[in-house]
Amino acid sequence: MDTLARIKDLATRELSLDPAKIDPNAPLADLGVDSLTFIEFMFKVEDEFGVKVSDEDLRNIKCLADLERHVAASLQATGKA
Amino acid sequence: MANPRRVAVTGIGTVSALGNNLQEFRSALAAARSGVRALPAEIALGSGVQVGALATWDPAAHFKGPEASSLDRVAQFALVAAGEAISSSGLDPAAANRNRIGVYWGTGMGGAHTLETAYRTVYGKNDFRLRPLSVVMAMNNAAGSNVALKWGLRGPFANFSTACSSSAMAIGEAMHVIRSGRADAVVAGGAEALLTPGMLAAWQALRTLAPADGADAAASCKPFDKRRGGLVLGEGAAALVLEEESHARARGAKILAFVSGYGNSCDAAHMSKPDRDGQVRAMHEALGEAGLAPEAIGYINAHGTATLVGDTVECEAIRAVFGEAAARIPVSSTKSMHGHLLGGAGALEMAAALMPFSDGLIPPTANLEQPDPACAVRHVPLKAERGEIPRAVMSNSFAFGGSNVVLVAERA
Repeated sequence: MDTLARIKDLATRELSLDPAKIDPNAPLADLGVDSLTFIEFMFKVEDEFGVKVSDEDLRNIKCLADLERHVAASLQATGKA
Repeated sequence: MANPRRVAVTGIGTVSALGNNLQEFRSALAAARSGVRALPAEIALGSGVQVGALATWDPAAHFKGPEASSLDRVAQFALVAAGEAISSSGLDPAAANRNRIGVYWGTGMGGAHTLETAYRTVYGKNDFRLRPLSVVMAMNNAAGSNVALKWGLRGPFANFSTACSSSAMAIGEAMHVIRSGRADAVVAGGAEALLTPGMLAAWQALRTLAPADGADAAASCKPFDKRRGGLVLGEGAAALVLEEESHARARGAKILAFVSGYGNSCDAAHMSKPDRDGQVRAMHEALGEAGLAPEAIGYINAHGTATLVGDTVECEAIRAVFGEAAARIPVSSTKSMHGHLLGGAGALEMAAALMPFSDGLIPPTANLEQPDPACAVRHVPLKAERGEIPRAVMSNSFAFGGSNVVLVAERA
């Protein structure tokens, strides 16, 4: 499973989103994800991929596609990709 | 002048070791069936605590998808009890003025499971990376806030944390806020979920918990009995929908009872030792507010934790308040069956105290085979009793810290 598919899978489980309706480029707020839910989700993402999302990274992640790029880059940097 | 705003009970919900709804709770009390059992090793760990009144709980049966994982066990209990109370009341918050419906809640320890999980991570694993929801799951007001959030109840909100009187205080204060005119209805109650290894160890250190009964773990809590050896911790929640009478009548709600008296006093004498005079003052105050003579009370749900001193002092206090009538008024401690819910105790026991209003059935004190002469009151030992529907009932809740709360309710 590629990174985006895993993120979508996690979002389906943890955020109760309909996988058919997840638009990776949609702002998270449009998916009904509030800030508190988002940081809890990031915690799960860190667990899932074994990566770290810093406070600064967090500010730049506006949609699941942003998240996918961040995770992919982190995996690359740590040699896990 | 009599207060024109009477406060009706229109819905009740419960979660406890006796089941996860009111009907199961009442059936267990009617049959004197105890929910106390040996604690599983993974909960007791090295605490030395042998028994507890654990709820049989599957979050997936009550919450969809990931919802349960964002709620501490105490909030899960609160939501299910409040849901049953609201649904049985027939009150549709969406169709009412939700700015005038409040939540008054009580809990002793709040999100104890969340807190303990966090401490285990930090101190046990030297891992300081905690879940982002740790704060909002552990905070003491989370259970009540989740109730408000779920049903959009935007009226007055309060959270009481006075140990074992917390939820009785929530009900009493809710009655007052409705009487004051600031709310039409309040979901009032409390919850507790602190059967965690660390909390159990802290309680065990107090040397106030009952050991397991050698023959039958379910019989370990023995209020008023010569053989009593202390309290048994329980968990769960209870909620009442309290509603101003005309508001309830206008929507054709069934009125189950009226909450009419609330006594609140502090011993200011000792952190844990009960004080007869403080209890007497609270009972007098509740009767006075209800405008009832002691003889009008037809059932007392005692605090009755089954500690040596606590039961003796409470019976002395009851005799002091009720005088000769104490020999006639049935008194029982349902903690013998559902254990001590601490912050949730007052609300759950109010649910038990209201039982005689529906069918005249007075819940018993289970395991009371050898009444202690020092606890001379009119007991309801071992079996429930059926009698006339009483005019009024009383529920006592006395807490560590010296807080005494007494509630009086009258039949509809």
